Amino acid sequence: MRVVIIGNGVAGIEAAITVRNREPTWSVTIVSEESDHFFSRTALMWVHTGQLSHACIEPHERDLYARMGFERVRARAVGLDTAARRVFLAGGLAPLPYDRLLIAAGSRPRPGPWPGADLRGVGHFVTHQDLAWLEAEVHGGPSRGGPPPRPDAHLSATADDSPYRPRPVAARGGARAPAVIGGGLIGIEAVEVLVAAGLRPTFFIREDWFWPMALDPRESAWIAERMGEHGVDVRLGENVEALVGDDRLQRVRTDRGEVDCDLCVVAIGVVPNTDWLRADRGEPYRSGGQPVKLDARGGVEVDEGLTSSVDGVFAAGDCASVPWYDGVRRPEQLWYTARDQGRVAGRRLCGDTALYARGVWYNSAKLMDVEYTTAGLVSVGVPDERNWFYEERGAVRSTTRIVLSGERVVGFNLLGRRWDHEVLVRWIEEHRSLDYVLAHLTEASFDTELVPPLEVPARGVELDGPAPTVIDGGMPAMVV
Amino acid sequence: MDQQGQNGLMRTFREPWRSRGALAYVVAALLTGFYVVLYWTEWLTPAAVALGLRSKWLLYGALYSVAMVGGAAYYLRHHGNSRYNRVRIAVNVGVQVALAFLLPLIMPLFGGPEAYLSYFWPLSYDKLWPSTLSSLPVYLALYFIVGSLLVAPLLAYRYGKRWYCSWVCGCGGLANTFGDPWRHLTASSTRSWRFEKVSVHTVMFVAVLTTFLLVLDAATDGATGTFHWLVAGGQWWSVKQLYGLVVGAILAGVVGVGFYPLFGPRLWCRNFCPMAAMLGLFQKLGRFRIAVKKDMCISCGNCTTYCEMGIDVRSYAQSNQSFTRAACVGCGMCAHVCPRGVLRLENAPREQADKARVRLPVVDL
Ligand SMILES: Cc1cc2nc3c(=O)[nH]c(=O)nc-3n(C[C@H](O)[C@H](O)[C@H](O)COP(=O)(O)OP(=O)(O)OC[C@H]3O[C@@H](n4cnc5c(N)ncnc54)[C@H](O)[C@@H]3O)c2cc1C
Ligand code: SF4
Ligand code: SF4
Repeated sequence: MRVVIIGNGVAGIEAAITVRNREPTWSVTIVSEESDHFFSRTALMWVHTGQLSHACIEPHERDLYARMGFERVRARAVGLDTAARRVFLAGGLAPLPYDRLLIAAGSRPRPGPWPGADLRGVGHFVTHQDLAWLEAEVHGGPSRGGPPPRPDAHLSATADDSPYRPRPVAARGGARAPAVIGGGLIGIEAVEVLVAAGLRPTFFIREDWFWPMALDPRESAWIAERMGEHGVDVRLGENVEALVGDDRLQRVRTDRGEVDCDLCVVAIGVVPNTDWLRADRGEPYRSGGQPVKLDARGGVEVDEGLTSSVDGVFAAGDCASVPWYDGVRRPEQLWYTARDQGRVAGRRLCGDTALYARGVWYNSAKLMDVEYTTAGLVSVGVPDERNWFYEERGAVRSTTRIVLSGERVVGFNLLGRRWDHEVLVRWIEEHRSLDYVLAHLTEASFDTELVPPLEVPARGVELDGPAPTVIDGGMPAMVV
Repeated sequence: MDQQGQNGLMRTFREPWRSRGALAYVVAALLTGFYVVLYWTEWLTPAAVALGLRSKWLLYGALYSVAMVGGAAYYLRHHGNSRYNRVRIAVNVGVQVALAFLLPLIMPLFGGPEAYLSYFWPLSYDKLWPSTLSSLPVYLALYFIVGSLLVAPLLAYRYGKRWYCSWVCGCGGLANTFGDPWRHLTASSTRSWRFEKVSVHTVMFVAVLTTFLLVLDAATDGATGTFHWLVAGGQWWSVKQLYGLVVGAILAGVVGVGFYPLFGPRLWCRNFCPMAAMLGLFQKLGRFRIAVKKDMCISCGNCTTYCEMGIDVRSYAQSNQSFTRAACVGCGMCAHVCPRGVLRLENAPREQADKARVRLPVVDL
């Protein structure tokens, strides 16, 4: 049996390991354009600052591929022939035959829709190559941890529109006036690494407050305040209209004026990395047989078994459009969901009938230096919504927001402390009341030792109406 | 404001002195040289006398305290936003200055012995040797016997070996303060773990055996001449002298501290300390553990990188597995640097620790 996996990210590698643990003799080939080794994409920011090296962010020791007997192809997949069951590769490499195929190609950055988005000095922060570009702009090169092994090994087998092509550098370590566009998680991480490098970035956010996908205005104001304290110029409600410069970026023009910039990180989201699957694209792309069905966002449409519209082809991770709790299919774009999907897909590749069942939503993050935990529904127009909000300002600063639908607790949005989301999720699943949750809140605490526990005021906190939202229609928090 | 996590981003791999640049080698050479001079020459004695200290060992205690205080300032600047870190380092430095410098300095002035109360057997390998015990006042002999054989293991069972290795011990204290800039250099490969398991338990075995032989020698009152000569003789290769030379001087001092800038600050604690090995066994049986929050790990590797004991914390975290490792000194750094708040140090009774974990997003048909 020949298993081919497109993608060396968490979804792809988890699937490969799952297959290998079950089937010691099958041939498993991993195609990856971006890097030789599986690495944690979520950790790119720390490689930039120098907190971690490239080796640090690889979750497995480097002998993994040899130990597991994975074949590794460092090239771009440029199309699929689902009739003859083979994957086309760039660079004149022979097509790769498969019996079962997993597409785990992840996301690519959404390009800036403005004029000048391809100027030198403009880039993203999603791939290894983006990291190398930003390191070159800000620091003049990688840290003493060094570059990843064989960073350019794919250049003989790639395509011009690949997100893994090296980006041209403008400032070579001389960037002084950086800008970041887009107030999501990747945007704030880009801001953080620039701050860590001693720079004072301008942060353009289209919405009226920071990260409305996840935070309400009160929560957001605190994060904006933290950013301000670190010297970030946060521009809320400001729409970028053009990136200006001849060859090299010089200014960002918005609906309120112009700002001088010599570096700009565009972080306005990511899109499924699936253009190479579309039929009828020019060279070097090719296709054959019935194409895999993509949804409007570009995600590979799959069912609960992560099976695509074509027999023997599965998809997992950021590029897979999976059914959500409301029945609508969307990509999930999270680390742990990609990992879980990879495991389910691995079982499917073995011929099992495992299902991927999405439960209550949860995640955590860190915004500048503020801890963030969320569970359930927090900014999606909950029916009969009410909010319990409490701001703690003592030895610890924190905010606690509990979202109710009628009498029932349906969501938590928690800043400044650490929480065990498993307990929160259980309360949501058990349809607990606000009184119950408040009485038991310490059970969900995950604060480090010696931190004084959160003292919930016995009474006096009014319930608000629905939290304001700028999003119409159901996409819960945590979109990168 | 109290925060729990790493405050600001560290530039570790962009600072050559912290990432095996030329300066790191110079510092390592200087430290190693210092220990050679300390152990095998009397060059420091005149300096000690000039400062009004009775011996080079008191001068060493003073320098050690200064290094710890300076290192603590560095540590707190980087990690002092967390209360656990602040309290732990304050206690550790306090113990060093009070019990390992001031008390030995002052006690003889009042006719007492120069005793180091924060060091127990088998780290302080001669504490239970008959020759030492018989030279101490009875209350101190009892203090060391009960402390080493009863209190230390019991506390390790209850709170983990961190009570000693990260709150009291001077070796751990120096590692966590002066050595903090280099904590990420500890190897975390599987190979290094294999080496550690063999080496640290070997030293523990040798420490116990040496003590046993010396007790036997004292019990028989040196009756069998050859045995006494082999075990407790004055020539450098008798069991007693050899242990002191290899473990006490070379491994704990020269290698243990000298190589901080190249291999991380816990080289000694991890691979050679017999006390760490012994307390580790009690920790493994006891209540201390690192709890892992389900599914929140993003496999970033901060915990593994900054674990000074080279434990691959990430491998547990990314498989949702709470764990107790014998090597863990409970420094709390993994929990501190974790950007997703996945880890927590706990002293939980077993039943509670093993509470059933809920659903997985994978459904089997
Ligand atoms: C800066 C940043 C921070 C993030 N932080 C978080 C976070 O804190 N929490 C969280 O939950 N999520 C976070 N995410 C999202 C998370 O990283 C992704 O959801 C996850 O990595 C998706 O994994 P994947 O395996 O689906 O795809 P990817 O990791 O994107 O892997 C894609 C793989 O496919 C290969 N590939 C793609 N196309 C081709 C082709 N045509 N030919 C050959 N190979 C190809 C690439 O080489 C690569 O190996 C973050 C993302 C970024 C960019
Ligand atoms: S596992 Fe964590 S607490 Fe234990 S030694 Fe390593 S960093 Fe310290
Ligand atoms: S436990 Fe935390 S620090 Fe360790 S790899 Fe996971 S997210 Fe990173």
